[in-house]
Amino acid sequence: MPVFGTLSYSKQKTIIIVSFLLIPLLLLATFTYFPAIKLVYYSFTNWDGYSPEKPWVGLDNYREVFGNPDIFKVFTHNFAYFAMGIVQNIVAIYFAVVLNSRLRGKNAFRMLLFLPYIMNGVAVAFMFGYVFDTTNGSLNVFLNSIGLTGLGQTSWLGTEGLVNYSLASTGFWRFMGYNMVIYIASLQAIPRDMYEAATIDGAGPLQTLWRITLPNMKPVIQLNLFLTVTGALEVFDLPFVLTKGGPAGASQTYVQRVVETAFAFNNYGLASAMSIILLFFVVFVLLLQQFVLSRGGNN
Amino acid sequence: MRNKLYSLGFVIMITSALSLSGCGSDNNNGNTASPATDEPAATSSANASAETNSPATEPAAGGASDISGKITFLTNRTDMIGKEYDDYLKRFNEKYPNVTVEFEASQTDYNQQAKVRMASGELPDVMFVPTIPNSDLPKYFAPLDDLGLNDQLTFKDFKSFDGQLYGITTGNSTTGIVYNKQAFADAGITEVPKTWDEFLAACEKLKAKGVIPLASNFKDKWPLNDWVYSVPRIIENNPDFPNEKLNTDTPFTMDNGYGKSLSLLRELNEKGYLEKDINSTNWEQSKKDIASGKFAMYYLGNWVINQVIGAGTTSDNVGFFPLPYDNSGTLTAPLSPDFFYAVAKNSKNVDAAKAFVKWMIEDSGYEDFAGFISPLKGKESNLSQLKEFQSTGVVLQEGTVDDAKVTEITNKAQLDLPAMAQEFVLAKDPQTVFDKWNKAWSKAKKDLGY
Repeated sequence: MPVFGTLSYSKQKTIIIVSFLLIPLLLLATFTYFPAIKLVYYSFTNWDGYSPEKPWVGLDNYREVFGNPDIFKVFTHNFAYFAMGIVQNIVAIYFAVVLNSRLRGKNAFRMLLFLPYIMNGVAVAFMFGYVFDTTNGSLNVFLNSIGLTGLGQTSWLGTEGLVNYSLASTGFWRFMGYNMVIYIASLQAIPRDMYEAATIDGAGPLQTLWRITLPNMKPVIQLNLFLTVTGALEVFDLPFVLTKGGPAGASQTYVQRVVETAFAFNNYGLASAMSIILLFFVVFVLLLQQFVLSRGGNN
Repeated sequence: MRNKLYSLGFVIMITSALSLSGCGSDNNNGNTASPATDEPAATSSANASAETNSPATEPAAGGASDISGKITFLTNRTDMIGKEYDDYLKRFNEKYPNVTVEFEASQTDYNQQAKVRMASGELPDVMFVPTIPNSDLPKYFAPLDDLGLNDQLTFKDFKSFDGQLYGITTGNSTTGIVYNKQAFADAGITEVPKTWDEFLAACEKLKAKGVIPLASNFKDKWPLNDWVYSVPRIIENNPDFPNEKLNTDTPFTMDNGYGKSLSLLRELNEKGYLEKDINSTNWEQSKKDIASGKFAMYYLGNWVINQVIGAGTTSDNVGFFPLPYDNSGTLTAPLSPDFFYAVAKNSKNVDAAKAFVKWMIEDSGYEDFAGFISPLKGKESNLSQLKEFQSTGVVLQEGTVDDAKVTEITNKAQLDLPAMAQEFVLAKDPQTVFDKWNKAWSKAKKDLGY
């Protein structure tokens, strides 16, 4: 066995890189790629989740998903999360710009806005159950106490058109701080001298925001939008804890439906196919977003 | 440079060696851990070691002092070990002085644990039947027909195969209206309602008092289970009604059990007898509200009685009566079993095990402690709520085992009955809900070829 030090530089480099990566790659393969490959395999079977045999059914599961318009109708519920996510990004940019300026106590404000993100998602959902309760919920009690008694009767989680926005607003509360922190990081990467030059040339604050800040943040905005879109497509915990998809399925999301198909109705094959379709859907939406946003041209 | 790289390489090798050995020690832990968890199994295998030729035919109800031996009982009621079970054993030994019983605490998942023990052939002498097909029962368990209880037992056919009885229910539950007696008295209701009209009148009185008559916990969905799993079969007066869905393409119609049952719930909601906003209910809070009298009633199983008492009221303030689902005046309530006792076929002391099961059913008083209705037909409960329930002259209707085909169709159609109940109550036109699910049902039935 040759002594390590006598090997050529490039060989040493390879050995080091491989040995450093071995464990993370092993973990990645075990917990991400192996289950993913299994998922693809299950999506072609009719497996019920417990019996030893997994009957091969070819593309039947995919045909069933695309043949059932009900399954795709739930994506309209996800729209609320998307719309709320856009608002969330705009507000996050606003706070990032404000809290990046010279402001007294800005660190305290940053921390306050970021705090909801570190809380456990299910705990947040559970907590908001008490906020949105119709008769005893703090939101309605507050609305009543300031005299809005009409609005204070609203069934936030029980009205068909409203429930998804109520749920999405919880997501807004939770993730806005996270987006904001990413925006602040990118703001701090913008060289100060650009602003100085612009000020000397006589640019106002709005002009610097529009012409310097936003263009420089474009890659980060893209990243955040991507997170928002995939987040909106994959919502699960909020409706699962708060409404169980109710009233009468009005807040059911796609992932919830997948989970139900697999674990309540013992149809792992169909559920796997639905997950694979979601994966392709996310890729498709991502490509679309790339296409639309890069048309403005940074090249 | 070369030196630095050399030392770096050394460090890496050490690190990976360490991490590898880390894995190794993990494996070791895994290996040593499994015998540790198997330990109880090992002790019981000692009991069953001379298992091969046990006299399973000898009647168990022989002379009490002739029966002797040591038996193990694998129980899920870990809380009773060292407390009530010690007392049971003392009383049991008064009758059978030569039998020793060892109570073994199960792990959290009784079913799973029992199946593992079945696979390894190391069953405790007395246990509960796990979820296995009835055709497998004779492989593991001894027939219990010789206990002399057959004509008194409830759910005699649930765990039977080829005409022989392998499992006896440990206790039964029923479903009914659990109510706050004070709230009823304050609203001027002197007698529990015996017909649907009387029930509605009582609700109206409660509502006029500012009390919410029935806490449905609609949002949580599971509290509606009885409206779809039990009420339809008692309305139809046909225990097998849920399984008869197999023979029809339209299992849900307005004039059969499902339609009638859900219409009752819908009527209660339309008249404002349920929570103000049924889409925003809170289960934990509702128990406190029933206890305090802000809500008056639940329609749930008798298991909830103790929870209501625990939420802050006294036992004599909680009453229990059957739901009067129509105006006929005859009352029927569903009866459902809990775990089933079974005796291992290969037990060394089958007679002692059988004697213990018989004693548990007849004399232990376990059903009162656990809040169950006795496994014996017509035996009156010592619990005041169940006594009140039985005193209405209610007929307790035993359910039947779910047909595997019906379950298969239900899953294929993605039909969740409590969710359908929610849709039914909330829909503008409930018929559309039934139409939708009838369509899904017939399609799934056709696809599966039934």
